[in-house]
Amino acid sequence: MKIFCVIPAYNEAENIVKVIEQVKPLVNEVVVVDDGSTDQTGALAEQAGAKVLRHIINCGQGAALRTGNEYSLINGAGIIVHFDADGQFSSRDIRQVIAPIINGSAQVVYGSRFLNKPGNLEMPFLKKRLLMPLARMANRVFYKINLTDPQSGFRAMSAFAAKKVCWGQDRMAHCSEIMIEVKKNNLSAAEVPITVIYRRFGQSFSGGLKIIRDLLLAKFIN
Amino acid sequence: MLQQITALIIIAFFLAKLYWQKQKNQIGINEFVFWLIFWLLAALLIIGLKFIDRLVAYLGFSGTGIEVLLYLSVAALFYFVFRLRLKLEKIEKDISKLVKSLALKDK
Repeated sequence: MKIFCVIPAYNEAENIVKVIEQVKPLVNEVVVVDDGSTDQTGALAEQAGAKVLRHIINCGQGAALRTGNEYSLINGAGIIVHFDADGQFSSRDIRQVIAPIINGSAQVVYGSRFLNKPGNLEMPFLKKRLLMPLARMANRVFYKINLTDPQSGFRAMSAFAAKKVCWGQDRMAHCSEIMIEVKKNNLSAAEVPITVIYRRFGQSFSGGLKIIRDLLLAKFIN
Repeated sequence: MLQQITALIIIAFFLAKLYWQKQKNQIGINEFVFWLIFWLLAALLIIGLKFIDRLVAYLGFSGTGIEVLLYLSVAALFYFVFRLRLKLEKIEKDISKLVKSLALKDK
């Protein structure tokens, strides 16, 4: 079973090579989607041995992952892993994230920053105590999704699941939409603990509001 | 009365401009018809302002006819902004599709 790791990257020249070097030995192919970077991200990723797909303009993480997924499916991926380019995730967790798919216990696996892992104590206080509980509650109330980490970008899915899960969100709301799609398609899902080393705050409160706005607007467009 | 005449002159100016734009093929037929109906309706409402005053009083509104028209126009503007927003979202999605196709071309 071929394992593809899709890494959406926007102006990540500083971290991309290190991330690729760490991920490469654990998967069959590393696919970097250079999402309209204005720095050397794409060129560096190519030199590091990744397959680079270039977005001519910045479309957002959700759009980049969609491109990466489609490429992976075309090229015979059995499992697709979504991984961040900023070096906040630990490549060592990839094995754990794909394990439930390999042993057949799940079709989609989410990495959770809230299941017991010591490194995660570094999550910013406001994010841990306010933003994430609010997002969890929104998922539970509106979509009946009961997951500990509502916004983790570290996930894996089988090719079967990747074909079923169609998200339309280009920006950060794709995380929620993927969870909704997984539930809608009755795909079996699991959560495994992952380590995250926080270098940036990541999603802010206004970012959270944008996610809600995007999800609501999508209801009217669709 | 003077205000009504001023408003009608402004509307006449926009109607003339609309006609001129159509003559020069700067706007399509749908847009022309939309704005024609819009300005004619505005003129009609201004001419019948007294009637609207009586109508809104009868319907139980506390404001005058022109105030109620203003409220309605603000509501309509909100609606148009919302429609515009949806249109933009759709265009963004179409652009993403194009970008994806270009990224996957020959890969």
